[in-house]
Amino acid sequence: MHELGVVMEVVRVVEEFVRENDVEEVDTVVLQVGELSSMIPKYIYDVYPAAVDGTMLEKTKLDIEIIPGNGRCGNCETIFSVLQNHATCPNCQSTQFELLSGREFYIKEIVCY
Amino acid sequence: MKEYRVLEIKQSVFEDNNKQADLLRQKLKDEKIFLLNLMSSPGAGKTTTLTRTIEMLKEKLRIGVMEADIDSDVDAATISETGAKVIQLHTGGMCHLDADMTKQGLEGLGTEGVDLAILENVGNLVCPAEFDTGAVKNAMILSVPEGDDKPLKYPLMFTICDVLLINKIDVMPYFDFDLQACIERVKKLNPDIQVIPVCAKTGEGIEDFADWLYKETIKWQT
Repeated sequence: MHELGVVMEVVRVVEEFVRENDVEEVDTVVLQVGELSSMIPKYIYDVYPAAVDGTMLEKTKLDIEIIPGNGRCGNCETIFSVLQNHATCPNCQSTQFELLSGREFYIKEIVCY
Repeated sequence: MKEYRVLEIKQSVFEDNNKQADLLRQKLKDEKIFLLNLMSSPGAGKTTTLTRTIEMLKEKLRIGVMEADIDSDVDAATISETGAKVIQLHTGGMCHLDADMTKQGLEGLGTEGVDLAILENVGNLVCPAEFDTGAVKNAMILSVPEGDDKPLKYPLMFTICDVLLINKIDVMPYFDFDLQACIERVKKLNPDIQVIPVCAKTGEGIEDFADWLYKETIKWQT
């Protein structure tokens, strides 16, 4: 349910963009999803056909790029993957870190004619 | 093969909603209406807590409540017994409210003469955290039976809230709920959050929450 509502928002934004930029036909919508965002790529793919049904994006393809969730250690400044290291710095074991990326949910671009 | 081109959009999906939310907040500021977004899991005690809180504040503030649910109007019926103005919003299967739906809800409620509007969001710790509703402050309720590990599992929700009510503290002896550990976990995510242990059933602690709400409302209005 969560993904469907958000993907419908994606469709609204892209439709507006398409109208403003006089795009004739959209082939692919490309999203960027952070691995720490609450959006699961598999479910985004699953709900996409339902979200575009009856819109000008019907029959378009969907492509998702994953953005890694990286943090910078607040103690030794090592940059590490938050998921792989279970939110603990692999260098000094500190759990204090600044999140640099991974929460994103962007509409990156559209491939169109 | 047809020639194709790539058009960069590079827009956060939440950006549109964020803009709507900022506009709504400005409108509320102009109209001197304080909007609280109250969130929790289903069954954490949002409606009971609200009922208690309204009882304490209804002589001092004019209160309006928006009850958002996927279906039914049982919550709106409960709130209406307090005498507060109330409207039931149906999200039609959606798991959260966004700024536009909140704005429509406020219009439906009719905010003229209202000091404090409260949005009881859909019971869910995931999606409501992602969508700014346009509220002035966010509050959430975590109830003891849910467990003290919830800040670890749903970090974003705890990060965006200004106040956390820990509800059902009367049953703490029956659950392995470590209040201190829970507060430490929450503070690590959000050092500024105010934590208030309450029991909505007996009314314990609700006064602290009502005080906070009253002060914030007055601050917003002046």
